[in-house]
Amino acid sequence: MIDIIINEWTKFLRNSVFVYLNVFFIFSLIFVVYLGILQNNSQETNRKIVEDEVREQWDNLEPMNPHSAAHYGSYAFKPMNLLNGLDGGVNDITGNVIKLEGHVQNEILFSEASQSLSISKFGKLKSSILLQIIIPLIIIFLGYSSIINDKKTGVLKLLVVEGLMLRKIIFGKSLSIWLYGLLLLFLTIIIQIFSTSSFESLNRLILIIISYSLYYYILAGLALYFSSIFKNNTTSLSIVMCLWIVWTIFIPKLWGNTVEKVYPLPSRQVFKDNMKEERSKGIDGHNPYDKRRDILKEKFLNQYNVDSLSQLPLNFDGIVMQADEEYGNQIWDKYFGKNYHILEKQKKLFQISGIVNPFSSLQSLSMGFAGTDMMHHLDFLKSAEDYRRYFIKELNDQHAYGGSKTGDWKWTVDSLYFRSVKKYDYKSAKIFDKINYYSIDIICLLLWFVAVNSLIFFINRKKNIL
Amino acid sequence: MIKLNEITKSFDDFKAVNNLSLKIKKGEIYGLLGPNGAGKSTTINILLGFLRPESGSAKINDICTSTQFDKTRKITGYISENVSLYPYLTGLENLDYFCKINGQKTKKLNLESILIKSGLQESAHNIKIENYSKGMRQKVGIAIALAKNASVYLLDEPASGLDPLASNDLSSLLKKISKEGSTILMASHDIFRIRETCDRIGILKNGQLVNEMKTSEVSTKEIEKIYIDYMQK
Repeated sequence: MIDIIINEWTKFLRNSVFVYLNVFFIFSLIFVVYLGILQNNSQETNRKIVEDEVREQWDNLEPMNPHSAAHYGSYAFKPMNLLNGLDGGVNDITGNVIKLEGHVQNEILFSEASQSLSISKFGKLKSSILLQIIIPLIIIFLGYSSIINDKKTGVLKLLVVEGLMLRKIIFGKSLSIWLYGLLLLFLTIIIQIFSTSSFESLNRLILIIISYSLYYYILAGLALYFSSIFKNNTTSLSIVMCLWIVWTIFIPKLWGNTVEKVYPLPSRQVFKDNMKEERSKGIDGHNPYDKRRDILKEKFLNQYNVDSLSQLPLNFDGIVMQADEEYGNQIWDKYFGKNYHILEKQKKLFQISGIVNPFSSLQSLSMGFAGTDMMHHLDFLKSAEDYRRYFIKELNDQHAYGGSKTGDWKWTVDSLYFRSVKKYDYKSAKIFDKINYYSIDIICLLLWFVAVNSLIFFINRKKNIL
Repeated sequence: MIKLNEITKSFDDFKAVNNLSLKIKKGEIYGLLGPNGAGKSTTINILLGFLRPESGSAKINDICTSTQFDKTRKITGYISENVSLYPYLTGLENLDYFCKINGQKTKKLNLESILIKSGLQESAHNIKIENYSKGMRQKVGIAIALAKNASVYLLDEPASGLDPLASNDLSSLLKKISKEGSTILMASHDIFRIRETCDRIGILKNGQLVNEMKTSEVSTKEIEKIYIDYMQK
């Protein structure tokens, strides 16, 4: 096998056109990856600067009522994972900043797509495009004619007479082309490794390498398989290209639409309207004539055995605000939870397309392992919402139990208190804690790997040599 | 030893080989003479194990070529009409590669001596095959077959593209190999070369063996006459 690989590589390296094209391609690849890292680092630096500025503003707030501070709010910034440069996933369209304030769960803002100039939006070359589109195309072009050419020149017949099994030749050639794909993959990944120091990122990079390696092997194996069963280069290329186009363009689009039909998400407007309607059934923290407020008031008066709010050893307004908040949280959990489950179902159904389309599995794994897919995004949203709840509850509790009396909206806290409120610190989920989300993709890619090997292993040697 | 027993092979409605029986003894050179489409290459492909006959059996050293292909190919050397090889490798590298895949670890010196034995000048050993003439490529093909030390050689138009001197050298080489005990089947339509090289000749027409003769008993002119008579029938 090693002799076949060495021979194939000799063929590659003694072809000056191939060598020059590759030098150009490799430099382009390194350049794109390096630019991606620079851009990523720059975004991350900016994020940190803005995040620190926002926190500094919070720490130095002029004395104000805690509830006013809850309306002033804060921001949760989604950290730019280093691997974002490798595969941006959904980050480009989902945004990266959420305003956190009382009474309301805001939407995430400032997606890259909405921020960029149109020329950058459409002309941006990401590493994932090179890894998912360009390298597979090169693999196809290297493989589709490899066996047919040997068949035409009679070399294949001689190789078999001299002792090689047809399947061994196909495996050897597949591995040679696969190694070429791996070389390009490693070049991309190594540059990332140089700029990463976290163990988690290394774990993710290893998983990314394994996923792409499997996909490249599947493609190389199939290209070589078709090259061995057809007698004509045009037929072989047409079949492999058709397969590639169906995998890369048609199935993701068609299956994506089907998934959305099977598990539809409510529109943004319906989602908002439903939330608003349900929320109106709770306590209105700012409406002193609200009936539900009266019930809560009675409860507290009885609990403290007093006749009026002014006799309570706390500020009832803070209690009402928090009750309003907790009711809102339940509604949010209900509707966001529903959406979360729909998104989970959508993801699972989409992952099943990996049975017929290994590209879907690769894409899902690439985004997932880079930490830029919808699951990771939802994890950030959940973490931001959890922090918002802590943040608002902290302020409401201060309003209620900090020493003011009901109705005293002029009571203030100073920056000493604001500084005691914990900072939002999001740590992206560890990949091995989330790996079960990707089990379908992993299984599909492995099934494809086995299927391609089986196709090659059981090839009819006699029928396909002459 | 090569033994074909009533083999028949068709491609759709066309019978390429029709009830062909043939026995070539150890150390014998047998020439299969016939026009294009007579069934020479099909017969060789059956012996190489690439084609399975519909009926009859093909054996090399009493091993069936259809069912025990892996065994027969180890003892069979093959030279085709157009030896293309790998154009980006030199003659020496090509021979080295084919020896390696055959499980032989032959030293460079031995490889060079095999190439010289096959008639390829030393100055050409380290030139890429893409710069070789057809005759030079043919010599490397012969070297590959020789390096295998096979007991049976199947040659499909081996002298095609060789100049007269190289063809003559090939004949001498094949005679030498057969004297060492190898069995050789050579398919060709070059009457002169077959007469010069082989011990026996069989004329193949429409997949059938229509005549057999010993070369020691007939002249080239006589073979030519017999051949033309058969082809015109």
